Amino acid sequence: MQQIPRHYIYLLLAGVVVWQLLAPMPLPISPSTATRGLYEAIRAVPEGKLIIISTDWDASTQAETWPQTEAVIHACFQARKRFVIMNMQPPMGVKLANDIALEVGKQYRARYGVDWANWGYKYGYGNVLMAMAKDIAKTIGDDFYGRPVTRLPLMQGVRSIRDIGLVVEVTGLAGVTEYWIGLIQGPYQVPFAAAYTAVMAPGYYPYLDSGQMKGMLVGAKGAAEMEALVRSPGKATTIMNVQSWAHLLIIALIVVGNLGYLLARGRREERRQ
Amino acid sequence: MGALEHANWFMTALFCTMSGVIVASVLLAQRGRAMFIRRIPGLAAIEEAVGRATEMGRPMLFSTGLWGIDIVTLQALAILSYIVRLAARQATRLIVATASSSLLPVAEESVREAYTSAGRPEAHRPEDVRFVSEEQFSYALGTIGIMARERTATNFLFGAFFAEALMLTENGRVLGALQVAGCPDPTQIPFFIATCDYVVIGDEYYAASAYLTREPTLTGSLVGQDLAKALLIGLILAGIGLATSYAGPAAPHNFLLNWLAQGR
Amino acid sequence: MREALQSLFLLRQAPNPTALAICLGLALAASVLLLYALHRLLGPRGRRWLIALVTFVGGLFFGLEWFYPARGHPSKNFLTDWIEPVSNMLTVVGAFTVGLGIYSLSQVHGRNVRLRRPGWHNSLAFFIAMVAMFVFGLWEHYLHLREPLPKLVPWPKGIYEILFSGLFAPLQAATFSLLAFYIASAAYRAFRIRTAEAGLMMAAAFVVMLGQVPVGAWLTSAIPAASGWSFFRLEKLGEWVLAWLNTPAQRAITFGVAIGALAMSLRVWLSLERGTFFSEQS
Repeated sequence: MQQIPRHYIYLLLAGVVVWQLLAPMPLPISPSTATRGLYEAIRAVPEGKLIIISTDWDASTQAETWPQTEAVIHACFQARKRFVIMNMQPPMGVKLANDIALEVGKQYRARYGVDWANWGYKYGYGNVLMAMAKDIAKTIGDDFYGRPVTRLPLMQGVRSIRDIGLVVEVTGLAGVTEYWIGLIQGPYQVPFAAAYTAVMAPGYYPYLDSGQMKGMLVGAKGAAEMEALVRSPGKATTIMNVQSWAHLLIIALIVVGNLGYLLARGRREERRQ
Repeated sequence: MGALEHANWFMTALFCTMSGVIVASVLLAQRGRAMFIRRIPGLAAIEEAVGRATEMGRPMLFSTGLWGIDIVTLQALAILSYIVRLAARQATRLIVATASSSLLPVAEESVREAYTSAGRPEAHRPEDVRFVSEEQFSYALGTIGIMARERTATNFLFGAFFAEALMLTENGRVLGALQVAGCPDPTQIPFFIATCDYVVIGDEYYAASAYLTREPTLTGSLVGQDLAKALLIGLILAGIGLATSYAGPAAPHNFLLNWLAQGR
Repeated sequence: MREALQSLFLLRQAPNPTALAICLGLALAASVLLLYALHRLLGPRGRRWLIALVTFVGGLFFGLEWFYPARGHPSKNFLTDWIEPVSNMLTVVGAFTVGLGIYSLSQVHGRNVRLRRPGWHNSLAFFIAMVAMFVFGLWEHYLHLREPLPKLVPWPKGIYEILFSGLFAPLQAATFSLLAFYIASAAYRAFRIRTAEAGLMMAAAFVVMLGQVPVGAWLTSAIPAASGWSFFRLEKLGEWVLAWLNTPAQRAITFGVAIGALAMSLRVWLSLERGTFFSEQS
């Protein structure tokens, strides 16, 4: 029981995933406090202020970050809050997020440049944020399509970070949140929320606990909870069915492994006696 | 309460005190005072790991993680230098895989100097210090390819690792290599523990250069670090006491919180 | 071609592009001459001294800007306005090393192809992929297509989409997905309850794992959500473990690692770090 070849484990896991994708057993999803915090923070953005969605993720984490971005964009459109997408690393994220916004925007008849915009990839982390705090148009320059952001209708009246009502960071990268909190949330008291992959989320609970973060989506579960709140079940809800059974399989394998270990230890002690 | 744009006088005093403690400890160590460092299994295993590769007649691999030139990677280079000197003495080949083009010349220089200081400059092969890719998974797959093609007997993973960590170590384990890993970020530690033979965790990572060289400056700094931590624990306990005694709506305002919040 | 280069260097936005181009050229030439002169004139000892001085001044600048008393809101001191240009300068210096990486890779793989070493076709694939992504990536960028895209998309854009969205992105996602299989086999193989502490850790792990998926809530759905026993619902228990057990532990690790980083930073700043890379003398 301790020596199941790893190929069988891989096959079992693949089988569980395929089974749940083909014949899902949906279970109810109830939003957590952290997810509700992000949802309420979006709805609480004052009229006239923008939301920045910083999509610092790429295709490797898209199983979690794609549905998170999608759910957040749904929430923004439903609450009729104007938002912009931007990205500091890796560059791929801004293109993927652009595709998501275009697709979701069709449902709400959203117009680019009026209801949302894409500031594009801006390299420089702390430099970009420090400069953006003082003069957004000068720092951002051109949008994702190469047009000056000053020509976009939704940028009218948006000069500095004080015209931003919320920053939502969606990321699978460690280290970027500290820039936002240190350079934007802290000094300028701009509300901040985030969506992380499940692996890195535990490290950011201190920020949630201290109030520096208004809310947080944790992995695909957080995305599924947000989808439940915006009443638009999507990828994350499907993933949750799969993940439920995958977790049960892993727990079963750990139990089997430990049973084998206990039996083997028992036999060793018997032989010694 | 917001973050600070600049340090207030409390932060300045705290920084100066902690730095002063560390520097004072360094000076004491340089004057000959003996300082105790407990055994760190992960670092103590490095010699055993190099010896294993020597006995098997197979090369070793050192991965510096994903980041470029920063504190985490500089510490990894310090550990790399130590391993290179061991490898040079035992005539064992060491391949270094970096994920940062800015780190490549620094790693090359570090390895070359280590071979020279070990008295074996001719053993250094420049092509064994390789830039693989800046892209996370391209780096992981490229490094796994090196492990598989070169049949490395020992893998060292020190630096900043993220999702690719499990990929590297699981494949290394399947290929039969002995693995020693260290990373200050706690997120990847569980994966290292599940797949590596020895793991250096959290603070132990920054203690590595002191532990391996036993150089007075470094051991003094390590002891100073611990004293600074003790000071911080004392401050936290004092803060808990103050916050508890000043709690409640009728209590007078907490002066410490006022200091830290700069009146916000 | 000139337009492409100009927009690469943003000369178009400069008030006097010709003067700026001349200044850039002169600055580049002067830098090369200065570095050559330093390399020839300074011995190893002199180089170490220069590195130590530059390291100290660099660290002093950022440290002083943070600690020097500041006024106003946002607060500023006499160094604050210099932070942005200095940081930009460091970013530019870092950007030069991108070429180094490409050179190193080209050297290694070029040798494989030239000498027809085993697996040389993989090195050839590297060159084809690098050149294709570079050419079509830049070409697509300078097409300046606007949304909505035309029905007949220009062929460079089409090829870029095949390479990026069709190959690169799915490959990256697929590689990341391998981790799920690795963690399953690693968890099965490594997680053994050998001690009481390991048992406690395993129990916490099971609670969090089940609390993070809907099946956990379903397993304890019999416990009424509004009752005092609702704490024992798996999703609530999992949230409690993350918020009340995990959070202080993460804070403690952060403090410890931060002090370690402070000590290491002090050693590097004051050039006290020892070891082959830094210096030999004690």
